[in-house]
Amino acid sequence: MRANFAKAAAAGDEAPLWFYAHLFLAHPETRQMFPVSMAHQRDRLFAALGEVVARVDDLDSLVPILQQLGRDHRKFGTVTEHYPAVGASLLATLEHFDDDWDDALAADWTAAYELVASVMVEAAEEMADQPPWWEAEVVAHERRTVDTAVLRLRPVVPLPYRPGESISLETERRPRLWRYYSPANAHRPDGELEIHARARAGGPVSTALVRQVDVGDVLRLGPPVDHLRFDPESDRDLLLVAGGTGLAPLKAIIDHVARTGPPRRVDLFVGVRLEDDLYDRADLERLEREHPWLTVTVAVSEDEHSRLAHGDVGEVVVRSGPWASREAYVAGPPAMVEDTVERLLQHGLPRDRIRTEVFAPSRPGPDVDGKVTT
Amino acid sequence: MTTTTESAAWTGGRRLTPADVRDVRFGRATVFHPGYDDTQVDRFLDRVGEELAKLHAEKAELRDRVHDLEARIDGEQRREAPSTQAVGILAAAQQTADQYVAEAEAFSRVVTTEAREHYEDQVRQAREKVGAMIQAAQEAAAVISAQAASSGTAGDDDSRTAAELQEQVVYLQAFSQACRIQLRAYLEALLDDVEREWGAAHPDGVPAVSARPRVQRPPAAAALSGAPAPAVRAPAVPAPAVPVGAVEPSTVEAAAVLLSEDALRQDRQDDEAGARPRQ
Repeated sequence: MRANFAKAAAAGDEAPLWFYAHLFLAHPETRQMFPVSMAHQRDRLFAALGEVVARVDDLDSLVPILQQLGRDHRKFGTVTEHYPAVGASLLATLEHFDDDWDDALAADWTAAYELVASVMVEAAEEMADQPPWWEAEVVAHERRTVDTAVLRLRPVVPLPYRPGESISLETERRPRLWRYYSPANAHRPDGELEIHARARAGGPVSTALVRQVDVGDVLRLGPPVDHLRFDPESDRDLLLVAGGTGLAPLKAIIDHVARTGPPRRVDLFVGVRLEDDLYDRADLERLEREHPWLTVTVAVSEDEHSRLAHGDVGEVVVRSGPWASREAYVAGPPAMVEDTVERLLQHGLPRDRIRTEVFAPSRPGPDVDGKVTT
Repeated sequence: MTTTTESAAWTGGRRLTPADVRDVRFGRATVFHPGYDDTQVDRFLDRVGEELAKLHAEKAELRDRVHDLEARIDGEQRREAPSTQAVGILAAAQQTADQYVAEAEAFSRVVTTEAREHYEDQVRQAREKVGAMIQAAQEAAAVISAQAASSGTAGDDDSRTAAELQEQVVYLQAFSQACRIQLRAYLEALLDDVEREWGAAHPDGVPAVSARPRVQRPPAAAALSGAPAPAVRAPAVPAPAVPVGAVEPSTVEAAAVLLSEDALRQDRQDDEAGARPRQ
């Protein structure tokens, strides 16, 4: 099976291209579950299959991955009936790219696929008490800078999540493109979510969220995933370091501390390139005014005219220390997270008390390691 | 099997076999033999048995034929699975579509990035220019008041000059603000163009855009650039100087002569919208 898969994988983009064309011709109803452009989808399909093949002898590690995949596919509208259709096209593809295809190989793949499908279907069915996705109305849309907007969403059915978690969302303006965003508030009784969106140059979903989505739009939300792994039980004082819209999950943590405690000192550092990029100034100021335990510091890295603290945010953080006793959460662009973590480690913060979330162009679903960014 | 018609073997749900019929034995009512003619009954039972056997055989044959036909239908479907040629055509079409989308995204990325750089550059230049002008005005004011002090003839003329300079400084600040707003409006128009280009490549994008005129967007969104909010705990740093609200209306009007009126009108809207939440 591995040798056979290697042949298809060696065909590069051709194999998944063939697979999807076969699937859409055999079952045209599946086409509407995918975005207009399939380029990114194809990259992922064979990567995921490769992982499955690589771990086919190690069911203990494979099963949780498949369960997660099965649960995650609910929001795409995948139902049990789709699995055999995919299996048939997969077999046809593997056969097409292998001249040595025989009945024994076909039987092996059929058995393996049936196992994979049954694990995924079962995991999806276990979630039957939860909706596959949540519809949420945009109740406010504020363009804060040329490329940043703050949206408030109200799900029809409340979507439970914990502070620091992110949820995937889809807008009808960019159908079938799911992207992860972190709510900037803790779960509220009315379920309302605050979302911070920055238009990434050329990014179809982020630009639509900032420049096209408006009040009254209905977005689809997927179930939450946790990358920052905020520990709500701890009462250690907090050091929060945000870059760009990495501010969102950290604001959710502040909101959680304010609502449910336990009481802890919180120092928030927000890094921006130019002072004009600071899109949430008024609200940060309000939070600082309302909560004596909260201190907010803004660092600008490339704005010599600004009177705010100058320098990369990590640099400004360690300058304002000591922080060695704190629990640190760092969220922002990859370079900023890496730099800040490095400085905090040098500063004497143990690694197990630093948790991070990288904000980068998003995958539509988690990969096998649970990563949702590229 | 020797049993009666009431036997459990028949009523228990088991199918009646030809053998059942052949082997059945009826009890006799009396010793004087008033029942059916043994020979006739036996002959009839043989016939029933034969008939059932025939029916069973026919049924088995029909079942086999159904299986055969089902298998052939399945085979037919498999043969109707997409031909390699069809798959190839659809794959090529998809690849072309993907390429167009990728090109549109790349185009949008380049234009947006350039527009943003351009915007930041313009803002920087405008700020530097205004800074230099304000500094020159302040230096001139210092020279004049020094002259006035040394000549000892400080009178109405000099105080008027100082007031004029003060007004000029305020004017320049308003000018800088208006510059920024105009640049921002320009950039947004540019970005909207890019968006619309991109949206046009997307079947669902076009009607959605036209259905929602931009006018409905709350003006508060632009407020932050219009009136700088007080600084968020900038260590040892005061709030940015002179919010636009402090500018004399007459000065703003004067700036409108130099800039397009639109920029100033937006300025006022922003100001009002921005002021509300702070009250």
